Amino acid sequence: MKKRAAAPAARFAFLLVSAGLLSACVTREPFIPAHLPAGAQHVVELDATPFFPQDKYQCGPAALATVLVASKADTTPDALVPVVYLPARKGSLQVEMQAAPRQFGRLSYSLSRKLESILEELAAGRPVLVLHNYGLSFWPKWHYAVVIGYDAASDKFILRSGKKRRTEWRARTFMVAWHNGGRWAMVVLRPGETPASANPTLYLEAAADFERGASPADSRLAFDAAVQRWPEQPVAWTGRGTAEYRAGNYSGAARDYAAALRIDPNNIGARNNLAQSLLDLGCPARALEQLQAVNIDALGSPLKEAVLDTRKHIDAAIASTLVIEPSRCASQF
Amino acid sequence: MKHSPWRKFAVGILSVAILNLGMTGAASAGVVDTADLVVTDRAADMSVVRTQLDRAEVRAQMEEMGVDAAAVERRVASLNDRELHRLAADMQNAPAGGDAVWIVGAVFIVLIILELTGVIDIFKKT
Repeated sequence: MKKRAAAPAARFAFLLVSAGLLSACVTREPFIPAHLPAGAQHVVELDATPFFPQDKYQCGPAALATVLVASKADTTPDALVPVVYLPARKGSLQVEMQAAPRQFGRLSYSLSRKLESILEELAAGRPVLVLHNYGLSFWPKWHYAVVIGYDAASDKFILRSGKKRRTEWRARTFMVAWHNGGRWAMVVLRPGETPASANPTLYLEAAADFERGASPADSRLAFDAAVQRWPEQPVAWTGRGTAEYRAGNYSGAARDYAAALRIDPNNIGARNNLAQSLLDLGCPARALEQLQAVNIDALGSPLKEAVLDTRKHIDAAIASTLVIEPSRCASQF
Repeated sequence: MKHSPWRKFAVGILSVAILNLGMTGAASAGVVDTADLVVTDRAADMSVVRTQLDRAEVRAQMEEMGVDAAAVERRVASLNDRELHRLAADMQNAPAGGDAVWIVGAVFIVLIILELTGVIDIFKKT
């Protein structure tokens, strides 16, 4: 590895000399004005963003604590070391940085690779966690920092980074490090918030990941925000329905699943969940109607097992029902 | 890292066997998780067995890489199947944000100079 690095290093030295010879500066366009979304402020600085100076190698826990505490989560860099720090790598991996906020009742959302997204989130008042690479492709040096603002006129970003509470970066410098780092950026959301730059599919994925460990109330907030913003998305309704179901509100759940099915009648997951909710409402015959047309053999895991299981419970309920369904079932979906 | 593939394999198989003791199947009574619906939408193929192998692999690698045993369990439990898969595949080489020491800063400054002077253009449209 060391020997192989020599050739690129020599090439690099050559480039450096060339750069010196070519020293007449090429004028480049400023970055921020060219990427500023319409209507966004020209200067933003999220001054209230907390600051945690990092200990050796531990920019991951420090940067993560910065965005988590900014979202009003209660944590510290020290508490995050056992959550995201990987001793043998002397650093923290993106996957774990992204998973960690869920342990604090927060959603994490990866931004698109466009500079516009970072600017949009900052303009909406949300600090952005970024991965920088200050090295080279064959000698990467990764670092997490938090962007807390920008100034379009001077084409600068403002960051909390390492031991610096406030550091200004020329946008071009920032872009070199961000681009080299794979243009990765994420924001932390409180349940109920959606990112300014959100894509509905990516947000719903983040919300679905959040659902697993979240309380029904938090999960409801996360999907309700999606229902309000993207009512055309069946997964938004399904997710809110499942939050209702987990809270024991079966009729609310049935209503949301039915809404998902009006948008996408082939959504078997929503249909299964609607059947389950109807069963829990004491309406097994109505539940059966939902699943009768479903071709179970054509389904894949884990949907197939879920539908079979629901079907089994419906059949058992029908077999043991001595009386006809209560009349209220007729008004259910 | 230094374990033989056979040991990894045995660990994986055993873990699956042990995990299966406590599981009756992927789906339990009730509603389907939204995550499963999203995954179905994307036609991702995450079999239960593969997820369990990934989990065993991530657990073993975390311990090797110096994470406290108690923390390993919590960390592994907090990951979904896609995240487990990404980690299992690339924990040794995936970007790990750590320190920004001054030597690195020097290299970076050179890179910036090259960019500014137009010797290289890393933002070329791809």
